[in-house]
Amino acid sequence: MVLYIIGLGLSDEKDITVKGLEAVKSCSRIYLEAYTSILGVGKERLEAFYERPVIIADRDMVETESDAILQDADKVNVAFLVVGDPFGATTHTDLVLRAQERGIPTVPIHNASVMNAVGCCGLSLYQYGQTVSIVFFTETWRPDSFVEKIGANRQMGLHTLCLLDIKVKEQSIENLARGRKIYEPPRYMSIPTAITQLLSVTTDAYSPTTIAVGLARLGSATQQIVAGTLEELQSVDFGPPLHSLVICGKMHFLEADVVRGFAVSKETFDRYAEVSEH
Amino acid sequence: MVNFSVDEIRALMDKRTNIRNMSVIAHVDHGKSTLTDSLVSKAGIIASAKAGDARYTDTRQDEQDRGITIKSTAISMFFEMAEEDLADVKQKTEGAGFLINLIDSPGHVDFSSEVTAALRVTDGALVVVDTIEGVCVQTETVLRQALGERIKPVVVINKVDRALLELQLTKEDLYQTFSRTIESVNVVIATYLDKSLGDVQVYPEKGTVAFGSGLHGWAFTLRQFANRYAKKFGVDKEKMMGRLWGENYFNPKTKKWTNKGTDTDGKSLERAFNTFVLDPIFRLFDAIMNFKKEETAKMLEKLEITLKSDEKDLEGKALLKTVMKKFLPAGDALLEMIVIHLPSPVTAQKYRFDTLYEGPLDDECAIGIRDCDPTGPLMLYVSKMVPTSDKGRFYAFGRVFSGTVRAGLKVRIQGPNYVPGKKDDMFLKSIQRVVLMMGRYVESIEDCPAGNIIGLVGIDQFLLKSGTITTSETAHNLKVMKFSVSPVVQVAVEVKNANDLPKLVEGLKRLSKSDPCVLCYTSESGEHIVAGAGELHLEICLKDLEEDHAGVPIKTGDPVVQLRETVQAESSIVALSKSPNKHNRIFMKAAPMQEELARDIETGKVSPKDDFKARARILAEEYGWDVTDARKIWCFGPDVSGANLLVDTTKGVQYLNEIKDSCIAAFQWATKEGCLAEENMRAIRFNILDVVLHADAIHRGGGQIIPTCRRVCYAAMLTANPGVMEPVFLVEIQCPESAMGGIYGVLNRRRGHVFAEEQRPGTPLYNVKAYLPIMESFGFTADLRAGTGGQAFPQSVFDHWQIMSGSPLEAGKLQDMIQGVRKRKGLTPEIPPLDRYYDKL
Repeated sequence: MVLYIIGLGLSDEKDITVKGLEAVKSCSRIYLEAYTSILGVGKERLEAFYERPVIIADRDMVETESDAILQDADKVNVAFLVVGDPFGATTHTDLVLRAQERGIPTVPIHNASVMNAVGCCGLSLYQYGQTVSIVFFTETWRPDSFVEKIGANRQMGLHTLCLLDIKVKEQSIENLARGRKIYEPPRYMSIPTAITQLLSVTTDAYSPTTIAVGLARLGSATQQIVAGTLEELQSVDFGPPLHSLVICGKMHFLEADVVRGFAVSKETFDRYAEVSEH
Repeated sequence: MVNFSVDEIRALMDKRTNIRNMSVIAHVDHGKSTLTDSLVSKAGIIASAKAGDARYTDTRQDEQDRGITIKSTAISMFFEMAEEDLADVKQKTEGAGFLINLIDSPGHVDFSSEVTAALRVTDGALVVVDTIEGVCVQTETVLRQALGERIKPVVVINKVDRALLELQLTKEDLYQTFSRTIESVNVVIATYLDKSLGDVQVYPEKGTVAFGSGLHGWAFTLRQFANRYAKKFGVDKEKMMGRLWGENYFNPKTKKWTNKGTDTDGKSLERAFNTFVLDPIFRLFDAIMNFKKEETAKMLEKLEITLKSDEKDLEGKALLKTVMKKFLPAGDALLEMIVIHLPSPVTAQKYRFDTLYEGPLDDECAIGIRDCDPTGPLMLYVSKMVPTSDKGRFYAFGRVFSGTVRAGLKVRIQGPNYVPGKKDDMFLKSIQRVVLMMGRYVESIEDCPAGNIIGLVGIDQFLLKSGTITTSETAHNLKVMKFSVSPVVQVAVEVKNANDLPKLVEGLKRLSKSDPCVLCYTSESGEHIVAGAGELHLEICLKDLEEDHAGVPIKTGDPVVQLRETVQAESSIVALSKSPNKHNRIFMKAAPMQEELARDIETGKVSPKDDFKARARILAEEYGWDVTDARKIWCFGPDVSGANLLVDTTKGVQYLNEIKDSCIAAFQWATKEGCLAEENMRAIRFNILDVVLHADAIHRGGGQIIPTCRRVCYAAMLTANPGVMEPVFLVEIQCPESAMGGIYGVLNRRRGHVFAEEQRPGTPLYNVKAYLPIMESFGFTADLRAGTGGQAFPQSVFDHWQIMSGSPLEAGKLQDMIQGVRKRKGLTPEIPPLDRYYDKL
């Protein structure tokens, strides 16, 4: 029948749309994609709310065992739940393609994603450039291609949304290389860690005094938004995950007014913010 | 009987110019340990009377029982040189007292890792060669190793008594035998010479060759005889030495020296060596062995040999031994030769430091080593672990190359995997005690300066087998030893009583420490594996494990050999694997690598540590590689040094360097556990042809790239006509002609073949060289003994990898064997099909 790819929104079980909830209730199998992002609540709360069992789909299942997910989807409805929006920060285009190969119609049901919710910090969504991910550096692996992208964005006066690495269920290098399914404990990158990594790369795309906005647990009751220079944000405690970071480009004065309200120190904000008066 | 004290030795340790660190090396049964005894008896630790029987350096019961050396053993000796001889020492010296640190090493090939460990800490080597057997396979191997470590050799031709008593050779025959042996030694030296050592060939006339009998305790160099005759002929001693060897003849009528074998009347003259050196010895032998009492007495008087009252009643061999020992005491001749011709640490470290040290050759450590500076930063190489009487603990045995080590000193203990600036494989600990190793005994000393061989207490837990001890924070490692043998024969062990398992695990750890070569590990399927260089080595290791290290009854499985997975053609298609998220693709082809290159990598001639430009030049010139490709070798594997290469042949791929690490990690494991039977891969070149990557770093992290790269390696291998290699022994057998038939029979039954067979000149013995698959070698020694009536004794050493006939992908013997290996490892019996690794576009 149909593969529903349903956005769950940002925070808890109640963020699902009415349309989404109706679709879930019509499905015989419900998968929750739980490796590219996490919801603030556990699987049990979802099951209680939907009155349906939910199967956790980890990376391995989605990427290598998609057949199991798509099985019988031509006869019954299957729901694939994605935190945020189905085609937001994480795209599940591969699953859609494979469903189409089998002639299974897919219906996406949209929801809020960090990609649009980030608007709440006051920086206009029209003024964002390319989004980048910042991954955990290891001793030998320091992918810093994000620098170029941030540089390009800032050159055009655009803001950069930085999505921070989460490792929900990752294998160690050795286990990956030997093809063994042994997983490491989950890790989530915090804003201070991200800034430390950003500043460890030599570049003139940004500096310790570049204004940025840190956002934690967007869309939840404990949401936290703090603005300041990268240096200032480095010592702010943002609490539990998930964290995101926006590196500001040139701000419109109205944008600046909102962001100033979140500033650690209004004085430094005014000193370093690039604000256009036109 | 100990005629030196620990304090005396400790005082000598400060006089670096008067130290000689040397090892005794030879083929098995050429008489190293027995000869060592005569040196030790000179230094006075064992009574002179027992020299020849005691095998002082064979400290283990099984060594004494089997009559072979298993472990190398060190002793320090004190030798006082006569004042007038000091002038002959061409290096700087300080006083007449010398400290000789001697390491007796095993001769059997299975234990050559012990030799390697001994050579590392010494500067000179006494090469023992049997008069009758001459230069054998192991003589050549150890000499090559010694020269590779820049160790200066001197030679002693041993068992001369047998040539006289058993073979009854004539004087000229004996001279010819000596001369041939020396020539063969020099051929080996010339072949493996390291230019920075200078001329290290040996010449009797220069005093670098001694002749003697370890068993009877006598030996001489031409120096001793030259000393006697120089006065008589009134010529210079060195000139006299020259005349005593080679084409030099003395005409007794004209009393003139000549270099022609005949006099003016055409009568043949006797060679000077025969007249002046061999003649007295021959006459003594003749007189004593034929019980000519009067003549004996006359000769003894002439040679100024006085016998004690209880010795006067001796006759025959016993008398001969006593007389010869007094006439030409082996200790004096050999110790003199060692002191005069072998380098002191000060001399040796000047030309050895660049091969010893991994770091830059101008940092403080390198300079400390070069100058053998006791005030420099401590640089000490631990070459092996010696079990203590305290069960489960070890002395770390090594050489101080720079600085001074003392009890209580806080040091950095750097294992072989230590990388400067990182913290892996590095410990900061204090040394509990410093001990002098003397055969069966140890003596505690306060401290030990550069140039000496030493034992350390209290650091054994922090080192696996060997490593660098230093006080400098910037020190690089001293170069890791390269063994000539590898642990190719392995066996699974288990305990008889399940309760003993923890003891076995602990015992395996200890076994692994106590032997430089043995490898102990737990396989994926939970089996405990012990791997050794050969059957004998394994047998000794297992015995030690059962009796000492674990102390519990154990069961051993059938021995198995390691295999290598390889390819025999270039991949027939371009292998492609997609990452799990399907956003990344790697395209790759596998191709065989030249066998010579694989060997050069294995012997370290081509290494990942080389400068990449220099390496690229070698690859281009010697192996016809494309220079651009050769410069883009990403890594060697497995274990970053194996004989497989990952080469980047892509053009203009963005972000490629961001996935390099993931690819290297994948490649290491893929080459370590090949897809046929999880055996190491060998001699495969993997070319990355193209890579397609996702634009964002998070979608091309290790989680995506590592499994993909691993799969594509397997896919490339499976499409490149995969093959299996088995290890092959080079077997050298010495036997009389009558045993030849038996040898051929035994070898044929075991898929072996003879490739060289020659008679040893001047003997009825034949030298047979053969290749024998190691898989077929279990029980070979016993079989051969039975097949030849005990006349043939083989020396087997791993030689090369040989491709096995058949394809592992087609039903047949080879596939059955691979399936057996897979089953043993707890894998599915079938080799995984290609589509598990290959993705369609």
